[in-house]
Amino acid sequence: MSRYAINTLLYNLKKDRALRARFIKDPRAAIADADLTDAERAAFIAGDMKTINELGGYLHLVMSVPKIGTHGGH
Amino acid sequence: MGKIVFGGAMSHVLDPDYYQAACGDIGRQKVTAAMDAIAKMGDRFADRRADALIVVADDHMNAFSFNCVPAICVRIGRKVQRMVQDEAEAFDKVLDHMPLEYPLHEALANSILEQGLRSGFDLALSWEAPVDHAFLSPVNTLLGKRPIPPLVPIFVNAFIAPQPTARRCFEFGQHIARVVGGSSWNAGIIATGGLSHFPELLLSRVGETDTVFDRKLIHWMETGEHESLLDLTADELHKTGSHEFLNWMVLLGAITPARAEVRYFGELPRINLAAVEWRLS
Repeated sequence: MSRYAINTLLYNLKKDRALRARFIKDPRAAIADADLTDAERAAFIAGDMKTINELGGYLHLVMSVPKIGTHGGH
Repeated sequence: MGKIVFGGAMSHVLDPDYYQAACGDIGRQKVTAAMDAIAKMGDRFADRRADALIVVADDHMNAFSFNCVPAICVRIGRKVQRMVQDEAEAFDKVLDHMPLEYPLHEALANSILEQGLRSGFDLALSWEAPVDHAFLSPVNTLLGKRPIPPLVPIFVNAFIAPQPTARRCFEFGQHIARVVGGSSWNAGIIATGGLSHFPELLLSRVGETDTVFDRKLIHWMETGEHESLLDLTADELHKTGSHEFLNWMVLLGAITPARAEVRYFGELPRINLAAVEWRLS
């Protein structure tokens, strides 16, 4: 588990609109170069924010990445 | 001799649409009541004609990324920009209607920073960090259409472990009071965030709060028992969803031994909304 790698990717998805667009189109390809474990990569590809959070993804990023994040209940 | 002429603390997502979406009609109703109480606090702040408003709040991985997370950072310079997020959602969207730029009280910020380093506080500094909803939602709600005085934004790392201790935050607040007291400026100070929400920062626990813990904190603030707050641990704050109380600890250090008066406290499933003001002599 890499708290740094997960959160850097979440941060970049939030702040880099082009990366976000590539991720929405093809998540596997968009994060191919990211330094993630298999479990982390699978969670991102599945868009499984709950698992990403449990693996160390910072809650406020998990909740606020546009078009990808979950607002946590709404 | 300068003086701290106003002290207040409040929740920092102050937006009826946000709470309508999160909690339904009761969310809109309660945050509107909280905002009304904060606006009345703003009347009293304006009456005191402060030269500066010190705002103690946390970043939500908007100003700082994982390349550096300062424990406590003083925002210096002449102006500060609002965080801009394209396609903003959730709490980021709260910022959309707010002004893009705010004046800073450069001399007071530099005094807090420089005197802090001379007296043992290893503070970070930034000329560039923008401020997010944690700073601007309270400031704009407090002041409404009144002019916003020069700000001194202070970032506290409330979320990314390891955080500064509650005691250290309190001591830093005492430092702020000494700096203001030795200056020629009168300043207001607000702390933002909370109360209890998002325990353990787990998505699965969004929607839980710890009202018993909040009421304990409020009791200690109302009675001025600040010693009792100094030993709050990171684990307690994490488990109860009280991470942002570290911001309040800075404020408490700055105004101690003043006692708090609760202007609003409202329970929601998502968060306990609060607005608190201190009786300053």
